[in-house]
Amino acid sequence: MKKITISDPTLRDGSHAIKHQLTVKQVSDYCAAIDKAGVPIVEVGHGNGIGASSIQVGLSRESDVKLLEAARKHLTNAKLGVHCIPGFATIKKHIKPALDIGVDIVRCACHCTEADTTRNHITFVREQGKQAFGVLMMSHMAPADVLVEEAMKMESYGAEAVIIMDSAGALLPDKVETVIGRLCDTLNVQVGYHGHNNLGMGVGNSIVAAKAGATIIDGTARCFGAGAGNTQLEILVPVLEKLGYETGIDLYRLLDAADLAEKELVQSIPRVRSISVVSGLAGVFSGFTSHVERISKQYGVDPRDVFFRLGKRGIVAGQEDMIIEEAYKLHQEKTG
Amino acid sequence: MNPGQLDIIREDCDRIFANPDRFSVLKNESILITGGTGFMGSWLAEAVACLNDSHHFGIKLTLVARNIDRFREKQAHLASRKDFTLLEKNVCDLIDIPDDISWIIHAAATPDNRVHSSDPLQVINTITNGTMQVLGASTRLSNLKKIVNISSGWIYGSQPKEMLQLQECHVGGPDSVSIASAYAEAKRMGETICSVYKGQFRIPMVTLRPFAFIGPYQMIDKPWAINNFIYDAINGGPIKILGDENTIRSYMYPSDMVNWILTALCEGESGLVLNLGSPEGCSLRAVADIICDCIPGETVVISQTLNRKPKYSIFVPDVSKAKETLGLELSVSLQDAIKRTIDWLRQP
Repeated sequence: MKKITISDPTLRDGSHAIKHQLTVKQVSDYCAAIDKAGVPIVEVGHGNGIGASSIQVGLSRESDVKLLEAARKHLTNAKLGVHCIPGFATIKKHIKPALDIGVDIVRCACHCTEADTTRNHITFVREQGKQAFGVLMMSHMAPADVLVEEAMKMESYGAEAVIIMDSAGALLPDKVETVIGRLCDTLNVQVGYHGHNNLGMGVGNSIVAAKAGATIIDGTARCFGAGAGNTQLEILVPVLEKLGYETGIDLYRLLDAADLAEKELVQSIPRVRSISVVSGLAGVFSGFTSHVERISKQYGVDPRDVFFRLGKRGIVAGQEDMIIEEAYKLHQEKTG
Repeated sequence: MNPGQLDIIREDCDRIFANPDRFSVLKNESILITGGTGFMGSWLAEAVACLNDSHHFGIKLTLVARNIDRFREKQAHLASRKDFTLLEKNVCDLIDIPDDISWIIHAAATPDNRVHSSDPLQVINTITNGTMQVLGASTRLSNLKKIVNISSGWIYGSQPKEMLQLQECHVGGPDSVSIASAYAEAKRMGETICSVYKGQFRIPMVTLRPFAFIGPYQMIDKPWAINNFIYDAINGGPIKILGDENTIRSYMYPSDMVNWILTALCEGESGLVLNLGSPEGCSLRAVADIICDCIPGETVVISQTLNRKPKYSIFVPDVSKAKETLGLELSVSLQDAIKRTIDWLRQP
């Protein structure tokens, strides 16, 4: 039977949906529940990864250290993972303390054409004897050939897996199949997929990825994540099992953990709203949604227009200030 | 480096030079090594130190490297020797070589594929322009006897599955449009540059194509399979095999490497091209199992889950030409190489 490793970023990507206000108790409760279900990897931290708490992308309620310590305490079998974007996260200030707490896997992420930025971080993590994955974010923005080249760089730095992240929920099945297939043909390490649901393709694309050879698939409880949310974990797992993949996860306990997430973590369950469809079509990071809505309201412009403008400019996470620029331009055009 | 580690290396060198006569042309000569502080350069320096200390060869050695400070710090026993001169220089800026130099081993270039990926242009520059710079300067030497160019086994490109070992006459080649080929393509170009200098300036030249090595002086945090396996094992395991466990590699112990390089320097006829490596191919799984056997306790070997077609590769040299031309053979088995490496790493 083919095996799939499920990685659960509910307590990381989900943080976007509640403006990074996760509490120690929420992290503790969910970790205990998901650990019992047998999910092998649990990611914890600020939505943009360790070290990202800032005015630019949102201040965390709790520090990385507190959240990771709580998670470590309540994960017995599951590995503890962190998302790490070089620039936000530095080796000395963030990765080393995280490893000291007991983080097992550091997922070093970058824009899909900038793998070079992950070299030092991946190398450091491997030198500490921990697992390092490479993550290519916003992967709809580059053709398969470029993604393969960038993934090869990450492999050469020591990444033990490369994850294709559909940050904007913009990928369609054909491209997922092509990219994952090409990576599996080229790389020697595992290939993974992280989906978002803007165009309703979260679970579907994940299944396509698994069939194309991906062995690590990400999903969150109740889609808990930015914008339209992530691949829904409690659907993904049984569907994979039904298709003959072995995840090692107990369904009832997984469903219990998802119920707990809905009750304790999720303020409003992510759904595919009209604005999410637009962000997916525009190919803009789902985490921009609340900012786009707020700023568009402030300038009296249509947030859908703002999203399409941002998509044309090819903006990526960390460029949130461009939202104001585009909204302002639209406002000027409208008012003459 | 601690005394126990030094003892192991000196034992290895003593074994190579049990009968040092075949190297006697180097007596009282001056040798220059580019890339002098890397893995290969450090081992060559250890060998020369042994020839001078135990056999009174009186060799004067010049080591050229970009970062001498680190060498001074980590290999103080070599850096402080009076018979060694350290020249801190990027090989691309090497305008003049000291006039007393008669022998050159050109080994400047990092084999670290992390650097190849992140800075391929610099890799290409160091290898191609660096080689031209060294050879250009060597044309002005009045008493040059030979240059050994350290190339790479990767110049053959992917080894065909039906070919168990790569012969020197194999005409393959890396994928020229792949970013992963920067190092291999530059090394190929380096060989051509050497051939041109040999033809145009009559510089006596031997080319060696190294494969893989394991032994003291190798950093086990380097991203190569056997290094990672040893790192995993001595840190309590498990040993993680990334990729296909049926991938076949071979590993030469550095004392054999040094013996072969110095023999090629002393006896290789100009124009000779030889593979430099072990012909004993071994699957990654078998390598991991050997490492497990060397570590007391219960180290576990785990392979990654890969739901895809097997994709193993082979990278093993045919070294029959080295035996035929210079009588060179492997003297340290893979098992002994691994055991000795682990002993070296564990020296208190």
